[in-house]
Amino acid sequence: MSLSVQQVRMDNKHPTVKLSVHPSRALMDEAFVILVQNVPPGSQVTLHALHRCEDGHRWEACAHYVADSSGNINAADDCSVGGSYFGVEPMGLLWSLKPVPGSKPGLRMRKKNVQTPMVVTISVFKGHHTEAFMDQVPLASWVVERWYMAPGVRRIPITEQQLTGTLFLPPGPGPFPGLLDLWGGGGQLMEYRSALLASHGIASLALDYLTSKITTETGKMVDNQYFETAYRVLQQHPQVLGSRIAMLGLSLGTVFTLKMAVYSPVVKLRCAVCISGSHIQPVSGGPQQMMDLFSRNFEKISFSEQDEVIWRGLLLPIPSDPSLKVDVGRLQCPLLLVVGEDDQNWCSHESATDMKQMMERAGNDQLLTLLSYPETGHLIEPPYTPHTPSSMFRGAGVGQKMRVLWGGKTPEHSAAQEDSWRKIVTFLRRNLYGGSDPHAIHLSHL
Amino acid sequence: CLRYAVLIGDALQQILASSIRPAPLLTATPVRTLVDEQACIKASFLPSNHPVTVCARMRSDEGDLWQSFAHYNTNSRGTFDLNSDLSVGGSYSGCEPMGLFWSMQPAPGERDGLRLRKKCVESPYTVHISLLEGHVSPNQEPVKELAAVTAERWYMAPGVKRQEIRQNGLVGTLFIPPGPGPFPAMLDMWGMGGGLPEYRSSLFASRGYASFCLAYVGHKDLPGPPNTINVRDSYFQAAFQFLQDHSHIAADKVGIVGLSYGCYLTFHTATLAGVKPACLIGINGPVGSSREILRVNSLLSLKHILCILQILMKPLVLMQLEEITCPLMYIVGEDDLSVLSIENADLIEETLRAAGKSHLFTRLSYPGAGHLIEPPYSPMSRATFIFFSCSVMTVWGGHPAPHAAAQEDAWKKMLEFMELNLRR
Repeated sequence: MSLSVQQVRMDNKHPTVKLSVHPSRALMDEAFVILVQNVPPGSQVTLHALHRCEDGHRWEACAHYVADSSGNINAADDCSVGGSYFGVEPMGLLWSLKPVPGSKPGLRMRKKNVQTPMVVTISVFKGHHTEAFMDQVPLASWVVERWYMAPGVRRIPITEQQLTGTLFLPPGPGPFPGLLDLWGGGGQLMEYRSALLASHGIASLALDYLTSKITTETGKMVDNQYFETAYRVLQQHPQVLGSRIAMLGLSLGTVFTLKMAVYSPVVKLRCAVCISGSHIQPVSGGPQQMMDLFSRNFEKISFSEQDEVIWRGLLLPIPSDPSLKVDVGRLQCPLLLVVGEDDQNWCSHESATDMKQMMERAGNDQLLTLLSYPETGHLIEPPYTPHTPSSMFRGAGVGQKMRVLWGGKTPEHSAAQEDSWRKIVTFLRRNLYGGSDPHAIHLSHL
Repeated sequence: CLRYAVLIGDALQQILASSIRPAPLLTATPVRTLVDEQACIKASFLPSNHPVTVCARMRSDEGDLWQSFAHYNTNSRGTFDLNSDLSVGGSYSGCEPMGLFWSMQPAPGERDGLRLRKKCVESPYTVHISLLEGHVSPNQEPVKELAAVTAERWYMAPGVKRQEIRQNGLVGTLFIPPGPGPFPAMLDMWGMGGGLPEYRSSLFASRGYASFCLAYVGHKDLPGPPNTINVRDSYFQAAFQFLQDHSHIAADKVGIVGLSYGCYLTFHTATLAGVKPACLIGINGPVGSSREILRVNSLLSLKHILCILQILMKPLVLMQLEEITCPLMYIVGEDDLSVLSIENADLIEETLRAAGKSHLFTRLSYPGAGHLIEPPYSPMSRATFIFFSCSVMTVWGGHPAPHAAAQEDAWKKMLEFMELNLRR
C-alpha cells in the first residue's frame, strides 16, 4: 500500500466522505447533481472530472468549494470559488473540460461511436488544487456515463441512391416526424446530434454531403439533388411521417438548409433550424460552387495574435445581389436561427440581422425566431459539450490542417449551448409533433 | 345508407389521422436508472380528455415475460404524467409514479409461482413501456400501440466492481464502489431459498457501501448436500473477518443485513466471538424461539415441514440478543405469512429493554406488507415455488400497493440507518 493511501486511511478515522452523482447514467443533455457529504464543516475541497476520449486524450476540469456547516457540498446550489469555473454551475465540471497539460494542441472533443457512452470519473480531493491530480489520492470518486443514444433507439446506415448517412429511429411503432441533420465544412459523418434527437422522438438522418462515398471515389462533390434525395429517402421511410420533416444545419449545413427550404420543389419543410451559418451563397449552385466562392475570397481571411485562422470575413460584406443570398422573404415555414455574437468563423451574426430585415420587408418575419448569444462562438453544440475556442481543422477537400479560431468565452458559450438546445428541441417538438397539418384534407371536402 | 356513410367516415378519419399526425410522444426520464431510482413517465401530443393505457413489459433473466398496465385519461392539453395523474384501472389504481414497475406480474400463459430475482446484476432489465389506444388489457386483441419508450433498470452503478469470492471456504460475491476507499461495508445474507442473490449487495455498492453477499445453503460451491446448512459458526465469523481485513474496507464500519433466515444469521453472527458489527438490519426473520419460528402453512407437505424444522432446530437456543452492542433495525411486514415477524420483533424489543438497551432498537412495521421486502419498485409475489421443491408453494403474504410502499420506505430508512451508523 502506498504511503498516501495509508495516510488517507488514517485520516478516515473520521466519518467517511460520501460522493454521489445522480443520475449516474444519463443522456448527454441531461443534468446531474453532485453531492459531497461528511467532509469537515467549512473545509476546502476540490471537485475534479476526468475523461479519456476515444482518441486516448485525457480531459479534465476542477472546481473549488467550501463545505457548509453540515459538512456538505451540492454543486447545483453551491458556489465554486476557483478552478475551471466560478459561481453556481451544476454542470460546470463537464462543460469546462479541457485537455490535460501536455496534450497535443488544438484538440476538439467529438464522439464518433454513439453506441457507447462517454465515461467521466468525478472525484473529490481535500484542499484546493488546480493540478497534479494524478499524484494524489482523492477522498472519494464516482463514475458517470453520458449517452447519446437512449435504449431502444435504432441506428440504420443509409447507403441507398449513393447517399452516405445514418438514420436514427426512436423506439416505438411510429410514425415519427423526420429531420435531416447537416454539419459543416469539416465533412465526415457525425452522428451524435441525430442520435440525441432520436432519443427525443425525432427520426433523424445525419448526412455526410462533403466526404460521402461517391465523392471519395470520384473526387467530385455532390450537387443539390443529393439533399433532395436524402429528403425523399426520409419521406418514404415507412416509420417516418413524410409531411412532417425538418432540416437542421450548422455552419456550412445552414447554407443548404436555407437553399432547400426556399428553392427546392421537392423539399417541403415543416420547420428549419440554422446554427452559426448564413444565407449568403451562390443561390443556384451546390457544394462545389460554395467552395469556389470561399476560394475566390481567400484574401479576406485574417489571423489572431496566436496565428489562428479567422474566416468570418470570407462572406462579408453582405451582398445586395439577390443571386448571392437566399431570399428568405419567400420562406413559408418557421425558422429558428441560432448565432454566437463572437463567431470568428462565419459572419453568422451579420447574416442573421440581414435575414431578419429581409423577412420584415417581405412580411413573413412572424416565422422567424432569432437566438443571439453574447460571447458565444461558432461551434454551438449540444449542452455540456466542452467548449472549443480554437482547434486544428481540415476543411473537406483541403490538404492541410490549420489552427482555426471558433470564438466564444467558455462560461457564456456553455450557457448558450444549454439554452439553445432546450429551445431547439422545444421548437422542433412544437412544429413537428404539434399544430395542424397545412396539407390536411378536411373531411368536409370529401 | 346513412349509417354506412358514417362508418366509412369513421374509418377514413382513422386512416387520415395516422397519416397526418405523428404518433404521440411517450417519455421516461431518466431512461437509464438504478432499480431504486424513480423514472418519470409522461405522454404528450394526444387528443384531449382521451382514454389511454400504459403498459410495461420485460423479460426476466430466465426468459419469463412480466407485465403491468394502467388506465389513464389525458387532460385538456392532451397530456398525462404518472407523477401526478390517477390510474383508473389496471394493475394498480390511484397516483402511483412507479406503479408500472412494482405491479408487474407474470404475463398470462407464463409459468406459475414465479419470483422476479435478477441473476446477472451486470446487465439491466430492459423495460418496454408502451402507450395503447383506449382503456384496454394488453392481452386482448387487437391492441393499437400508439407510442413506446425503452427504459433500462440497473442493479449496478457504473464503476462498481464485482468480485467472486471463493477463498478460505467462503462462497460469496463482493461488490466494491468506485473510488479509493476505504468504504463502510455490509455482510448481506438471504433466506433458505439458498443460492447467491447478488442484487441487494450490488445496489448497496451503488450507494457507496462495499457489500459482501454470502451463500450458506443451496450453492454448488458449498460443501455437503444442498438442502442442509453444512457450515458452522466459524464460516460466518470468517465472512465478517474477511470484510474487516479487506484493504478497501474500513474495519470499524462493517454492518450485517439479512432477510428471513438471513436475519437469524445476522443476529446470531453478531453474538459470535470476535465479531463487532457497527450495525445490524434484520428483515422478517426468526430470532430463535423454541416453538413458534415458522407458522406452518397448510400448503406445505409433511416432508417439507420436517425438512425445514430440522434445519432451524439445529443451533436452537433463544439467541443472546442482550449481548448485542450496536444499533439494530428490525423490519416487519405485518402480513408476513411465512415468519411471525411481529412476534419476533416484540421478542427483540423485550430482550433489549430488559438489558437496558432500548436505545439501540429501531422497529419499522408495515401493514399489508409480506415476507419478501425487497429493494424498492420490485414486483412482489404473494406465493412462489421455493428452492428445493418445485411442487410446493410457499405463501409469503403481502398485498401489492402496501407492500410496494413498504419496500420504498424501508429501503430509504435502511440507507439512512447505514449512513448514520457506518459513516458518522
